[in-house]
Amino acid sequence: MPNWKLINKTFLYDGTFDGFLTIVFDCYSNKTLPQKIFSEAEYTFNFLDHTTYIETDFEKSKRVFNGIEKSISYTTLYNTYYAFLSDEPEKEIFILKYLCNGFDIGPKINNMLTVSYVFKVMNMKKRCFGECHRLKGLLRFQEIGNNLYYASIHPDNNIIEPLGHHFISRLPNQNFIIHDKIRDLCLLYNGNEYRIIDSTNIKIPTISYEEQKYQELWKLFFKTIAIKERKNARCQMQYMPKKYWQDLIEEP
Amino acid sequence: MDTLQKLQILADSAKYDASCSSSGSTRANKNNGIGNGNKAGICHSWGADGRCISLLKILFSNCCIYDCKYCINRCTNSVKRATFTPQEVADLTINFYKRNYIEGLFLSSAVVKSPDYTMELLVKTVSILRNEYKFNGYIHCKTIPGCSKELIDKLGNLVDRLSINIELPSSTSLKLLAPQKEKDGILDPMTYVSNGIKQNKLEKSKFKPSFVPAGQTTQLIVGATPESDLKILKLSEGLYGKLKLKRVYYSAYISVNNDKNLPTLEAPPLLRENRLYQADWLLRYYGFKADELLDETHQNFNHILDPKCDWALRNLDKFPIEINTADYFTLLRIPGIGVISAKKIIKARRSFALDFEALKGLGVVLKRAKYFITCKGKYCNQVYKFNQNFIETNLIYQERNSLPRPNFQQLSIFDSLQPTKEDKIKCLTGSL
Ligand code: SF4
Repeated sequence: MPNWKLINKTFLYDGTFDGFLTIVFDCYSNKTLPQKIFSEAEYTFNFLDHTTYIETDFEKSKRVFNGIEKSISYTTLYNTYYAFLSDEPEKEIFILKYLCNGFDIGPKINNMLTVSYVFKVMNMKKRCFGECHRLKGLLRFQEIGNNLYYASIHPDNNIIEPLGHHFISRLPNQNFIIHDKIRDLCLLYNGNEYRIIDSTNIKIPTISYEEQKYQELWKLFFKTIAIKERKNARCQMQYMPKKYWQDLIEEP
Repeated sequence: MDTLQKLQILADSAKYDASCSSSGSTRANKNNGIGNGNKAGICHSWGADGRCISLLKILFSNCCIYDCKYCINRCTNSVKRATFTPQEVADLTINFYKRNYIEGLFLSSAVVKSPDYTMELLVKTVSILRNEYKFNGYIHCKTIPGCSKELIDKLGNLVDRLSINIELPSSTSLKLLAPQKEKDGILDPMTYVSNGIKQNKLEKSKFKPSFVPAGQTTQLIVGATPESDLKILKLSEGLYGKLKLKRVYYSAYISVNNDKNLPTLEAPPLLRENRLYQADWLLRYYGFKADELLDETHQNFNHILDPKCDWALRNLDKFPIEINTADYFTLLRIPGIGVISAKKIIKARRSFALDFEALKGLGVVLKRAKYFITCKGKYCNQVYKFNQNFIETNLIYQERNSLPRPNFQQLSIFDSLQPTKEDKIKCLTGSL
């Protein structure tokens, strides 16, 4: 990290991507690196920390967002976006170092896998991207009203938004709700635009006869398609870890 | 008969087909329709046999007029029979798709009445999906051997992928076990489709529908007939090279019928199937030739070592390979180094010369590779000797340790060696 000053400060922010990019903007302009960064909700007070709250500034965040692509590379932006969705506790510091160094040396940064924070960022990206891809397959919609579908998920990482994008381009005429039960977030899509809202109490109506029928058909198909001579529970578990089973319709 | 009963019978009949992937489709969502393709392919579930479930894999009908000896639906067997209607299959597909159970449909069929009659039903089904429901998800259809070229054209313009299963790797075997099917009846339509794809790519325009955009595939049954691994691999090499097939699937033979011409196997030859898949990867992505991997004195794959390790041990004069200077395809020839690792190495060594620690840092697995490489001219310090005996003993020792306990029902310990978990993952991600 060439000529950046380490300052004895803990930055707090609202936990959003825009909030984080605002911090990146400030750090880059002042050429300083804080000791720690926490989302306000996750921070527990500590006498030794000198905390500063950084107010989210959409203008700054937009400039950083565009700047990453322009002065580093599209891949870096992509890595940053996915790594930020990670549940890793110190993700912000790793990504910040990755970006700040990236602004200095350009797209080369993505090749420097032996530098610990670059490796860390790549790994976080890989895990989030991987989980998102996995849920593109494992998510199950249930029809809960006329052309209204509902799915619950329990992901390790906060991947509701890229997951939502996948289904919006795939099923553009279908109204749906994706419910992240770990973070109490809901992504709502009305066939036109989407929103992500907090959702502590969402009530799901009982499902229709038609819906039951298709669930039965699917369960039957799932059971029938396995070849019993080739039974391999270990392999099944490995690709479809138990934590995902609660949201499936079929019973593996 | 209701849909539930039909589904039970016709999914059960389709389950032995190994091809299930949905990869390679870039079909976009157009006309405000339902669905799109995904280039990487998406798995929606995994069955009790550990295979990925991606497509609604069913037969249209299992009422067959043919009598292939290895097939559960041969006309001389007494099994429950059922036939869907095109509308039923279309509704099932759409409703499964909307609930995100599947990526699309994989439809094949037994021969009902005649090849053309059956093909027309398949065309009808797929055209309801594409034209009435505006379905842009993935569709893979199996063509019926012996049907007319016009029907292949019609179907080819609607689906993403076509396949014709060769099933038996030689015409002698075909004659013996599938007397009504002829080799030409299979290879002719394959050549026809392959030319059609080529032609369509040349004339590509907005107004012409694309013809089988995700390419064609086939399946070979392994272990029902006496062909060697070499013979099978040569056949695949030809199919990839001449007919530009996208995939050849190998399916370990499972005894479902008793027939004097069929072997009785205690268990399907899964390890052999796995070795063929590994070798198939080496052909397609690693620049290997079938003749390099096997030869007349060495016609079948080693049970304990994967094809690349096996090859490397027989070609030790090409090793050790220096990590910092070898080109991409040479790196790929190192056992244990796959596409991902090779790319990482090439990327990282631009910044500085790599040693063994750096390789570990990159996440390159050295378990097998360490015997075959040098870093900055030095061997890994766990490798005391560079000779065949030492390396082979160590590799076999490693593999044996990671293989699951042999199943006591089987006679020889070697027959029962199952592919390791690692092998399976590597096979899937392509990093052998
Ligand atoms: S034509 Fe197909 S379904 Fe009919 S017996 Fe032969 S393999 Fe079986």
